[in-house]
Amino acid sequence: MGLSGQAALVGAAQYRPEKYSTAPQMFHLEQVADLTVRALADAGLELAEVDGLIVPAPQFHEATMFVPAMAGEYLGVALNYAEVVDLGGASSVAMAWRAAAAIEMGMCNTVVCAIPQRMAPFAPDEDMSEFMRASRYGGHSTRYGAPEAELDLPYGHMAQNTGYALIAQRYAATYDYDPAALARIAVAQRFNACHNPEAIFHGQPITVEDVLASRMVAEPLRVLEIVMPVAGGGAMVITRADRTRSIRHRAVKIIGCGEHVQSKSPTYAQDMLATPIGPASRRAFEMSGFKPADMHMAQIYDCYTITVLLTLEDAGFCPKGEGMRFLREHDLTFKGNFPMNTHGGQLSFGQAGLAGGMSQVIEAMQQIQGRAGERQLARHDLAYVSGTGGVMSEQGALILQGA
Amino acid sequence: MTWNKPLPQPTPTSAPYWEGLKAHEVRIQQCDQGHWVFFPRIHCPVCASRELAWRKISGEGTLYTFTVARIPTMPEFTDEMPQILAVVKFDEGPHINTTIVGADPATLKVGQRVRPVFDDRPGTATLLRYTPVESAHPGVIDDAADAKVMPAAETVPAVAVRKIDIKNIDAVRALVSDSFSAWSPELAVTQELINEFAALSGDDYWIHTDPERSRKESPFGGTIAHGMLIQVLLGRLRIPQDYEITGFNNMVNYGSDRLRFPVPVPAGCRIHARSRVKSVEQVKSGVKLMMEINVHVVGQDDRPCAINDMIIMYM
Ligand SMILES: [Zn+2]
Repeated sequence: MGLSGQAALVGAAQYRPEKYSTAPQMFHLEQVADLTVRALADAGLELAEVDGLIVPAPQFHEATMFVPAMAGEYLGVALNYAEVVDLGGASSVAMAWRAAAAIEMGMCNTVVCAIPQRMAPFAPDEDMSEFMRASRYGGHSTRYGAPEAELDLPYGHMAQNTGYALIAQRYAATYDYDPAALARIAVAQRFNACHNPEAIFHGQPITVEDVLASRMVAEPLRVLEIVMPVAGGGAMVITRADRTRSIRHRAVKIIGCGEHVQSKSPTYAQDMLATPIGPASRRAFEMSGFKPADMHMAQIYDCYTITVLLTLEDAGFCPKGEGMRFLREHDLTFKGNFPMNTHGGQLSFGQAGLAGGMSQVIEAMQQIQGRAGERQLARHDLAYVSGTGGVMSEQGALILQGA
Repeated sequence: MTWNKPLPQPTPTSAPYWEGLKAHEVRIQQCDQGHWVFFPRIHCPVCASRELAWRKISGEGTLYTFTVARIPTMPEFTDEMPQILAVVKFDEGPHINTTIVGADPATLKVGQRVRPVFDDRPGTATLLRYTPVESAHPGVIDDAADAKVMPAAETVPAVAVRKIDIKNIDAVRALVSDSFSAWSPELAVTQELINEFAALSGDDYWIHTDPERSRKESPFGGTIAHGMLIQVLLGRLRIPQDYEITGFNNMVNYGSDRLRFPVPVPAGCRIHARSRVKSVEQVKSGVKLMMEINVHVVGQDDRPCAINDMIIMYM
């Protein structure tokens, strides 16, 4: 049962995170093509070898239907496996295991997973009102019949900040809550970003005091505990592990995966603190045959510091309720005893929308391949990677191992 | 007052819930196996039964969790700042998203008892808010209740006043401070006020005066006040000062070194102001005193909606 490591990540490309205001505008089809060609070059594979394609649907500019067919046609490849993944920030992790599963099943040989996240240019006569509406309400549906449109928006319950704050407050009322310990996540990741020239906050170190003094957004979450949305995008190439002799870098085998979708709004979860990353991670570890303590690094989806805390606990890196102690007792930098989000995390690398989570998969791949430059880990054969969509709604985990 | 915020659009399935709220009752569904269901559905999410009945419940429950939003979750909620967003657990079990009214956020505790408050202000629907059981807040909010919580800027809090002679330049210089005065009374910036200013100034750009279009097209989700209106309203926001300058023949408004409107003021918000003496300069013709006057939307104390570095010349 499960993956047996017959599929491997072999190459990737991603745009340097940039502010939307200064980033180039590109059609999403153009971004998919550009990122795919770069990722294939990184891997050492030819365009003609691609026979699988996974793209996101919800924010694809040029179409809301037939997206893989349109993108495949634009790329110039025939597909034996074509899919759209709609799991928010968990999409990249979800794409990786779907690609691996399709390859192991023999459906296809080489899959590209691409997420364009630069803004597409608007037509001169395009009606902006729908775009304005969608961007104002973030991940919340405003459509008639959507429970959240009917029951959340009239009260101002909207988007992610307050959703995660509600979870954090519940955590604080249940367990030990230490803002300074949580701040250590942001600080360690900023340290890592200062060793990553691609990170948006490269060269801007912060301290625990800075985090605690930063602007309160939604109690208890402060602005330096919250990701900054940026433009960007990424693509990764997954192929058969036994075809990898021709590739340029070490194959990174996908040996475990798990996924769990529990609710859209955490409000309706039985227990807001029992997050989907628990079941997702247990399945991934079990499939891989490894335990949390075996990992050489953790690349944990970090839209907020609280997301990391809950993932550490529910994935089994520490017992439930002891996350704060874990944070206080560990050095989370790439130089430390628990290397985490070695590229800076999305908090400091930048969160390029749905592609934000791909930065974590790509960092794990590059670490395992020994290509992480200044922040290269000494032990770098095994990685845990997580993805989170919505407000702890839809989550996934991967276990990666160097071939 | 026009309701500038998203409104619920009941569906055939959910309509009994909203009808209940209009009657100031909380009604939720229960299946024939006894499971309580919320939000409204066509089946029971526990046992899949499609035999659901609407039952009146007390609506009381416990505070499951909450947060105090210091930045409006949507601009049109600026008038509620700070927003106290909450999840309440009905005594019957299910959770509901709501907001807390009539409570100091600092006193809220997860697990405390809360009771429903029916908010009739949106007009087309009644919203279900919550308040601590022991709160004196009325169980119903209507437009009249709304008017009560929006005092006009009439009374300035009494403070002991020191008299400072303008010729005593050292004493005047001692007024320079990094800390601000107490807040002025609050003033509501209504759509009516904005319309009057639009007529007076000739600036009737739709972003100020067309609530319908602004709801659809404006990034602010509704109309916003003119920056210059906020600046003009300063005259009505009497800021309490603990000093009074004396001993001058004449004082004139010399203008402003800086006038900024960093944060929009959506229609319907309340504003208040505070000030500090930023600098004092002796010049040939007299004394130039620069006041930094900051106007804030009530609840957004960390970011002003207007900053005016106003220079007063005492001669
Ligand atoms: Zn049932």
